Amino acid sequence: MSFYGEVFASEIMRKPVLDPKGEEIGRVKDFVIVKGEQLPKVSALVIDKRKKVFLLPWKDLNIFNKRIISSRVYGDNLQAYDESREEDLLIVRDILDKQIVDVNGARVVRVNDIKLEGLNTNAVLVAVDVGVRGIMRRLGVERGGEDLFRLFQKTLPYSLISWNYLQPLEPKLTRIALTVPRQILSELHPADIAEIISSVSQKEGVSFFNNLAVETAAEALSELEPNVQKDIINRMDSDKASNIIEMMPPDEAADILSDLPAEKAKEILESIEKEEAEDIQELLGHEEDTAGGLMTNVFIACSPEMTVREASERLKVQAKEVETVYYIYVLDAEEKLLGIASLRELLLAESDCIMADIMETNLKTVSPGDDEMDVAAIISKYNLLAIPVVDENGYMHGIVTVDDIIDILLPPAAKRKRRKV
Amino acid sequence: MSRWKRLLLFLSIMGPGIITANIDNDASGITTYSVAGARFGYTLLWTLIPTTVALVVIQEMVARMGAVTGKGLSDLIRENYGVRATFFMMVALFVANLGTTVSNFAGWAASMEILGLSKYIIVPLGATAVWLLVTKGSYRTVERILLAACLLYFGYVISGFMAHPSWPGVLKGTFMPTVKWNAEYVYITIAIIGTTITPWMQFYLQSSIAEKGVRKAEYKATRLDVVLGCSITDIIAFFIIVTCATTLFPAGIRIAKASEAAYALRPLAGQYASLIFAVSLANASLLGAIIVPLATAYYICEAMGWERGVNKTFREAPQFMWIYTIIIVASALLILLPGAPLVFLMVFSAVLNGLLLPFVLIYALSLVNNRKLMGEYVNRGYYNYISWGTVAVIIVLTGFLIVTSLAPLRI
Repeated sequence: MSFYGEVFASEIMRKPVLDPKGEEIGRVKDFVIVKGEQLPKVSALVIDKRKKVFLLPWKDLNIFNKRIISSRVYGDNLQAYDESREEDLLIVRDILDKQIVDVNGARVVRVNDIKLEGLNTNAVLVAVDVGVRGIMRRLGVERGGEDLFRLFQKTLPYSLISWNYLQPLEPKLTRIALTVPRQILSELHPADIAEIISSVSQKEGVSFFNNLAVETAAEALSELEPNVQKDIINRMDSDKASNIIEMMPPDEAADILSDLPAEKAKEILESIEKEEAEDIQELLGHEEDTAGGLMTNVFIACSPEMTVREASERLKVQAKEVETVYYIYVLDAEEKLLGIASLRELLLAESDCIMADIMETNLKTVSPGDDEMDVAAIISKYNLLAIPVVDENGYMHGIVTVDDIIDILLPPAAKRKRRKV
Repeated sequence: MSRWKRLLLFLSIMGPGIITANIDNDASGITTYSVAGARFGYTLLWTLIPTTVALVVIQEMVARMGAVTGKGLSDLIRENYGVRATFFMMVALFVANLGTTVSNFAGWAASMEILGLSKYIIVPLGATAVWLLVTKGSYRTVERILLAACLLYFGYVISGFMAHPSWPGVLKGTFMPTVKWNAEYVYITIAIIGTTITPWMQFYLQSSIAEKGVRKAEYKATRLDVVLGCSITDIIAFFIIVTCATTLFPAGIRIAKASEAAYALRPLAGQYASLIFAVSLANASLLGAIIVPLATAYYICEAMGWERGVNKTFREAPQFMWIYTIIIVASALLILLPGAPLVFLMVFSAVLNGLLLPFVLIYALSLVNNRKLMGEYVNRGYYNYISWGTVAVIIVLTGFLIVTSLAPLRI
């Protein structure tokens, strides 16, 4: 059967289906879709007549357009269909009116209508309508809406989103999702992903989150509100959760773990690599609103005898792992802080100099028990990007970076809350 | 679980039920209770018991849906019943809630006039404050203000005690039902139920529970929250009726508005009781004026799939912001315009709410019994009979309310 042009699902719904003699064999109720070559395609129509539901395979259709739908077979030969079949994917039941993520615009939208287009004798799903026009079409007043808009000298916009840019929220739909959207999904900014997660229901949020690559998931997770983080991790199995937590900076990982039920946290900690787990455990010992609770213990350190060249090499190796690359901390063998060299100093110094010569020794530090507001005050006063946390004996414990501080000063903007009324 | 752990769990979950229940006592609720007390004394107190039961039955189902599906009611209705049903329901909800907001601003204006402030100053001021709070404020401020405002409701309990009621009479009125077969008595009885169980609060409760992120496992604590909340609503209602019944009823003072009750209280129960009554009314009205437009904008956008949220700007969420703004501006203007058909609008809104309620309740009941959505959390056997029974009774009563509102009683 060939199908040309384009048609909206709502224009076909409730349309009569005729047999070769012109008798009505039923009305269109739904569409079964399957994975196509590029886009999902319609494999059969679900039609109903007098409360009985039948399946009309695509190959048995004779004419299919928005005016006439006719079949090659007669009503008696139709196969009965059980609508609650979970294995099938149905347009009206499973997609229409549901929420879906527009990956391109990084927002959650509702499917008001679905656009089908003819492609090599098949009807494929090309786009979803998320605009007012879709709602009006469903209500049967699209024309009226156009006229109304014309009255104000405006055109009723088509708000179509190509199927390529959609990411389903329900796990069921992922079966027909394409490979393309997944890539776009990981290109989304983590803050946008966090925004999406906080605007859908928890269940959908978790299933959406499960579709993310581990690295993207880790970044997105740090952008969420603590209680949403907790929810998501709680609903995941411990293996996947520990993979994600492992990717996060230890200070943020510690924050999340401290909010989890003790058992779940222990389970996750056990499956994290030993070294990472130790870092996290160390941080878990501090009060949340102190310098110790804010700090991360991953930073670039070197010894005073190291040359600038060696230090630069180390910086290149470790840059990926640490939160800030702007300071190199010079520690003695006992891990006491001797001085700090900034990235600028490192770049400007002769490569044969040793670190002890270029480091700054007049240091601004905080101790692990200091209140977060005091830490913020010092960072702001001296315009620092990060401040070392040093105990009374001079041992270095970690650093507090400026972005940890900003999260405290501007919580509503920086963290995405779950939507609320 | 130890007792302490259980208490902690409850404290972390509680909130939505109690807040919803408080806001339920908005200006129109308080008016109905005051009128009831002044007109019939303690004899209507017993109706609060069946009202509480009905409220608990319905709110519990809605709360359960919120916890199990994690979605709001308008979301579920849209997903399961399509655009058409949702669209008409939302249009009706918009108009009905516009009326509710008008009556809240009217309550605000009236209570402030008792304190000697002109409505031409106080209404624009209130409307601007409400509008700014949501459009420019953050969620955190909104939440704090709401919680603080909820505490002020206890003013009614205080004024109830200050009126020195005769407790034996109160107890008799509460636990020994007396039914008078006169039209006004029946009308007010139904009005009490109608003002307590409203369509918009079902939407509000389910959304706030879904958004609080209550999980199935913690559902027991939520149920307690709902039961507690419903009881608090009716305890407040109880004290409003008691206050008016103790003071105004024996004096034979008939009132039509809650603010008249505050006036009439001054010579009878003292200046402070009157003042507390007026301030509590102002508080309840303003709280309603914040929540009702906000909730309306929210459900409509949720159902239609538009961007929404308190933290969004006009550019990001135009529909949400405009719906909210229009409701507030229109209601404030209607109060200020001389000769605006206020009474008609409020009656119309009550009728519309009455028409809407059966649909909302029937949708809610069929959704809660949908195994695909609710799994094992569908209504169990006998409980289903209770809920259908309750819904049927409420529908019949609101039907009666609609008829009597449209054909005003001649008393």
